[in-house]
Amino acid sequence: MSTSALSRQFILDRICAAILPPAKDLAGAAVDYAALPREYIRRGSLSREEKLQLMIKRLREYDAEVIETTPQELPAAIAAQLKASGRSNFIAPAGLPVEWLADDFHWTIDHGLSTDEIEQTEGVVTAAFCGVADSGTIVLHHSAEEGRRVLTLLPDWHLCILRSSQVVQSFPEYIDRLPQPPRLVTYISGPSATADIEMTRIKGVHGPRFLVVILVRDED
Amino acid sequence: MSHVELDPRFASPFPQAVLPVLRNPQLRKNVAHAIDVIQTKRGRLVTEKTDWQELRNSAAAIRSHVLENLGAYLEEFEYRCTAAGGQVHWAADADEARQLILELLRQEKASEVIKIKTMTSAEIQLNPFLQAAGLDVFETDLAEIILQLGDLEPSHIVVPALHVNRSQVREIFARRMGLKDLSDDPKELTNAARHYLRQKFLTIPTAISGANFLIAETGSVAVVESEGNGRMCLTLPRTLITLAGIEKVLPRFQDLEVMLQLLARSATGERMNPYTSLWTGVTAGDGPQRFHVVLLDNGRTSILSKPKQRQTLKCIRCAACMNACPVYRQTGGHAYGSVYPGPIGAILTPQLMQMHYAQSLPFASSLCGACYEACPVKINIPEVLLELRSQVVNQERKQTGRFLDPLYLGLRVANLLFAWALLFHAAQWAGRLGLRLFTRKDGWIHWLPSVGGKWTQTRDLRGLPAQSFHQWWAARAKETK
Repeated sequence: MSTSALSRQFILDRICAAILPPAKDLAGAAVDYAALPREYIRRGSLSREEKLQLMIKRLREYDAEVIETTPQELPAAIAAQLKASGRSNFIAPAGLPVEWLADDFHWTIDHGLSTDEIEQTEGVVTAAFCGVADSGTIVLHHSAEEGRRVLTLLPDWHLCILRSSQVVQSFPEYIDRLPQPPRLVTYISGPSATADIEMTRIKGVHGPRFLVVILVRDED
Repeated sequence: MSHVELDPRFASPFPQAVLPVLRNPQLRKNVAHAIDVIQTKRGRLVTEKTDWQELRNSAAAIRSHVLENLGAYLEEFEYRCTAAGGQVHWAADADEARQLILELLRQEKASEVIKIKTMTSAEIQLNPFLQAAGLDVFETDLAEIILQLGDLEPSHIVVPALHVNRSQVREIFARRMGLKDLSDDPKELTNAARHYLRQKFLTIPTAISGANFLIAETGSVAVVESEGNGRMCLTLPRTLITLAGIEKVLPRFQDLEVMLQLLARSATGERMNPYTSLWTGVTAGDGPQRFHVVLLDNGRTSILSKPKQRQTLKCIRCAACMNACPVYRQTGGHAYGSVYPGPIGAILTPQLMQMHYAQSLPFASSLCGACYEACPVKINIPEVLLELRSQVVNQERKQTGRFLDPLYLGLRVANLLFAWALLFHAAQWAGRLGLRLFTRKDGWIHWLPSVGGKWTQTRDLRGLPAQSFHQWWAARAKETK
């Protein structure tokens, strides 16, 4: 047996001996688990409009830029933001709707691009899975329209399209929207930041330094 | 700055280790400033959360439940992670973990490795070991870069370089990155770190991370960070090695709704940290294609076996206890002689050392309870401190030569006196008589001999009043009759 296998048995034996009365198996543990207290707020009390306003407020507190638009106006809103960014070379996940790929810009579509190719681009446009208003968090599950993890990491500028129907008030409400736990997740709460030097918050370390969110009013 | 020892086996006892800090006003100012900023932000965000106590209750219950069923959840995690393409390894102690990681790196033919901040790797002193084996190890968290390039030691588990100020950072970066014209503007310093690391992220194919949580239900690993250096290390390399203490497991994905609402607020006073990553084994086309988890015991199962002390393992490493601690605020982290400072360090370190080292740490507390109040998973740190103190005292008592130590002699006598009312009253009478010899006209005692001198060295003692409360009460009862 390898050291790791021996240690595995050693550790599990010690855990077994440490817990008295003897621990349950997973099914027994599940019974106890179901009885754990959960009295915290699982459902927010804000109206739909208040919730969206809170999401916008939080994102702006993180120095993210937020633009509101309608589904009809969305392609134009995207084009306007791309132009305003002063950049011309963008990357898009393979599943991004084609009508979002505004003319007059250079687009690279990710069909398994290399890290170097992604590093060459100046910005990225993606969709999102969900937005959590309470903390201003953008949830990515890295689906075809949200892109691989590296796409929203290397480019310095991230434009994220969030539909108002995707915005929930609290983190537990996001959990309730999951059909099953996702395999890959990134929670983004504002652009990359550090406070390591004298607790002074500096925006932009390694991730994108600029986060722009277009909130699409798709429920109106 | 003098050499700081963070290996509990070699570190000086707290009362000695603290002296250089107390004599260093710059260091104390840096620490106090950082703590004040975090505490102000945390206070605001905790007040805003109306269900804070309910979240704490749930978090405490979930973490306790995990520890009571640790074996089942670890096996579930291993099964799920393996099914998703990850490889799970087990290490009984620090040495095994180091050897295992080195072996994995050798299989990769790695000569360089990038790292996300992980306190667990600091616990097992991984960096010096890998460097001695000929590898180049690059820390990527800004604070860790400051420490690594400046050859300094961490003093906090969330903001490890909070004892270093901007001009010190400037000096380190200017010297080690060869940037002579660098200013001390934090923005410029941060930018320097970004440039220093960019190429390393893009080219070094092997990374080491810690884990904030392991999810048993899915086999996923969660890492919470701010800068994006974590995402770089978790996404770009070909191979990722994650080192995690066995206690880091959570039963279900859903438990994140409790933990993540508490963690960032407690740690940095943010509603949510900028980036949280979760991944599950290996995903084709996205992220590292070889993924190893090393599960580390290193004394944890021994803590688990002691019911009163077990709660130490509930810790989610948010550092709220050290930010709240009046002792830490004055001393900073180095005096604790461990990579885990503050109240949690004061209970965790001696236990990880199986009570063979760091015995002074349980005494490095005023027992005010601020740590317990701040702890998001409700670890009753004062309770564990007291338990460990009694163990240390028992260790000391058994040492020869301590039997006639005036302190222990005095405590044995006190033990006797407090047990019998008659003896207690007699002692009060004798004490009043004896202390009268030392009581000055102003009613204060300024000097006492022997162990009593330990008190009067630094403060005066009020002389005993002519009448005890007990006597006064009895007299009062007689009068009112």
